[in-house]
Amino acid sequence: MISRKLQYMIALLVLAILGMGFYLVHLKRKAESISAGPVSQALTAPVTGPTEEMTLYLANDEENALRPITFSSPLPTDPGERGRLALHTLIARYLQKDSTHPLGAGAEVHDVYLLDSASAVVNLNAAFAETHRSGVEVEQLTVFSLVRTLKAQLPQLTRVRFLVDGKTRDTLAGHIDLTGWIDVAMVAEASKELK
Amino acid sequence: MPKAHSISVRSTILLLVLLAAGFAAAPRRITVYAPQANYQVDILVRDGVDYVGLTDLLEPLGRLESRVDGAKLTLVFNGAAAEFQDGKRQYRTSANPRLDLPSNFLMVDRRGYVPAASIAQLLPRITSLSAEFHAAPRRLFVGATQLRFSAELRHAPSRLVLSFPAPVNPSTLIEKSRVRLIFRREPVVGTGGDNTSYSDPFLAGTSFTEIPGGAEFVANVLQLATVSIGDGGRTVTIAVAAVPAPPPAGAPAATGAAANPAAAGQHPAVPRSRPFVILDAAHGGYETGAVFSPTLQEKSVNLALARRLQKELEARGVPVVLTRVADNLLTWDQRAVSANTSHASLYVALHSSSSGHGVRVYTALVPVAQPGQSNHSFLPWELAQSPFLEQSNTAATAIAAECGAEGLPARSSAAPLRPLNSVTLAAVAVEIAPLGAAADELGQAEYQQKIAAALASGIASLRAKLETAQ
Repeated sequence: MISRKLQYMIALLVLAILGMGFYLVHLKRKAESISAGPVSQALTAPVTGPTEEMTLYLANDEENALRPITFSSPLPTDPGERGRLALHTLIARYLQKDSTHPLGAGAEVHDVYLLDSASAVVNLNAAFAETHRSGVEVEQLTVFSLVRTLKAQLPQLTRVRFLVDGKTRDTLAGHIDLTGWIDVAMVAEASKELK
Repeated sequence: MPKAHSISVRSTILLLVLLAAGFAAAPRRITVYAPQANYQVDILVRDGVDYVGLTDLLEPLGRLESRVDGAKLTLVFNGAAAEFQDGKRQYRTSANPRLDLPSNFLMVDRRGYVPAASIAQLLPRITSLSAEFHAAPRRLFVGATQLRFSAELRHAPSRLVLSFPAPVNPSTLIEKSRVRLIFRREPVVGTGGDNTSYSDPFLAGTSFTEIPGGAEFVANVLQLATVSIGDGGRTVTIAVAAVPAPPPAGAPAATGAAANPAAAGQHPAVPRSRPFVILDAAHGGYETGAVFSPTLQEKSVNLALARRLQKELEARGVPVVLTRVADNLLTWDQRAVSANTSHASLYVALHSSSSGHGVRVYTALVPVAQPGQSNHSFLPWELAQSPFLEQSNTAATAIAAECGAEGLPARSSAAPLRPLNSVTLAAVAVEIAPLGAAADELGQAEYQQKIAAALASGIASLRAKLETAQ
């Protein structure tokens, strides 16, 4: 025979377990909604510098297009920081829910290194490549969009190379080649074929 | 025995067993030689029995449709039906309602598998083509494709002449005391007496063995030898290195040929048929490409499209060769080398995507050739396409235009897409996308057929232009 006291204890424990379970589900949903959010905190870091024009080349999957948009923004004077900010801003657009060219959650640019004024190395994070949709066109739009946006901020740029987590990767998501330098002028020329 | 020594012996044995298990675990394949194509089919081992996938085996041989209804698989091959039941030995065809397999039929992931030991009996019943299966080297000959050769030792000077009924191109390994000819692509088989001894100052003996995926001919020589291929690839001559080999048929009469005019005139020189286009279904094996649904992957769509396009092109009289005809993975470099050694005029890689609509045709993102740079200039592997870019652009424009004329949204552009940049002929990549929003459309036979017909018209229209340029 179980005593009345013990029965109350067990009932309380069961209630506590259920309550904690519901709270865990609530926390999980909250965490998911934060990670699926449009922009991470790092992308909106305050920037100091003179206000200048920033041009982003936004990809549109439905129209197979690459369209420039220009707006005024405070830009850092350091060319590497300037390039990184432009790519951060571009990716933030792609991470928004109504994006015309959605990227996977967590996609980000770690760094933009300038070897000289003409050569830039863009270091993407692993999530950028691993969550990217697979296909020639969709990968081409991403790479062309990044290259042209970078070129818009760094006019001296002639070639760009992409790394993923600091390492060379064969392709972005199975198609577009990331093993070598990408010629900026050739990308600009090939972009003319896009709408 | 000291304890430490015993442990080291046991460790070595364990290591060897593990190594042996590792080698045993290497994928085994059956090499199929058919009039349509040579290809390989993976072996699946279940309960100690070797099985092969029926679809993999039959698809390259003709028009195949398959339906799965529960545990029942119905195949329709070129209009003739066959029915199999999972876990049953019994199966039936249109001509015979009661036939037996040596082991149970197997269904794995809605794909049908038959015992490898049964394929020589099974294939003629389904395809009406004769079949011969050599179990040990795992070689299957469909439709009497076997090449039987004859070997003749000739004298003054001593040389061994191997004659084949069709052109061959073996890999040749010349060592100090033997010459090895390895036939990887050709369905070369022995003629019975495969080991022969000679009492000749040059040649001690020969042997012929079939190996997994090919065959090997070995000549044990007593002097350093040289190998020459003549008569349009039908004759392989192994001769003493110091003595020049007989010139190929059709060459001006010389001492060697004059010594044996019969050899020179035995077979008229027949030019090998040259494909116009090499089709490359992208991805394969574990590299699936895009995944459209749990049952539809890019690698399968690409291969199905390649096969349809092949049939459409052949119907237009355009010779075609495929880089892959089964679900196997090739590296980019292997694809480029296949294209560059195919003697074709156009390379077409096939991709598919659920993003966007219609057909996209891509050329390599490489600089155009500099003035004075010819097709024969020495270029880095990554830029080998440069001298051919103009031809590639012409091809891309023509194919996109033909697709547009057929009512498909189409465009062409350049992209950094391997292996286009390393191909030394006109080269394009085609990516197809659904017309509507559903990616399932990519797997539909009707849609693939429409695209294949449009692509074939575009490719066929290029033939005169590209062959002239080449």
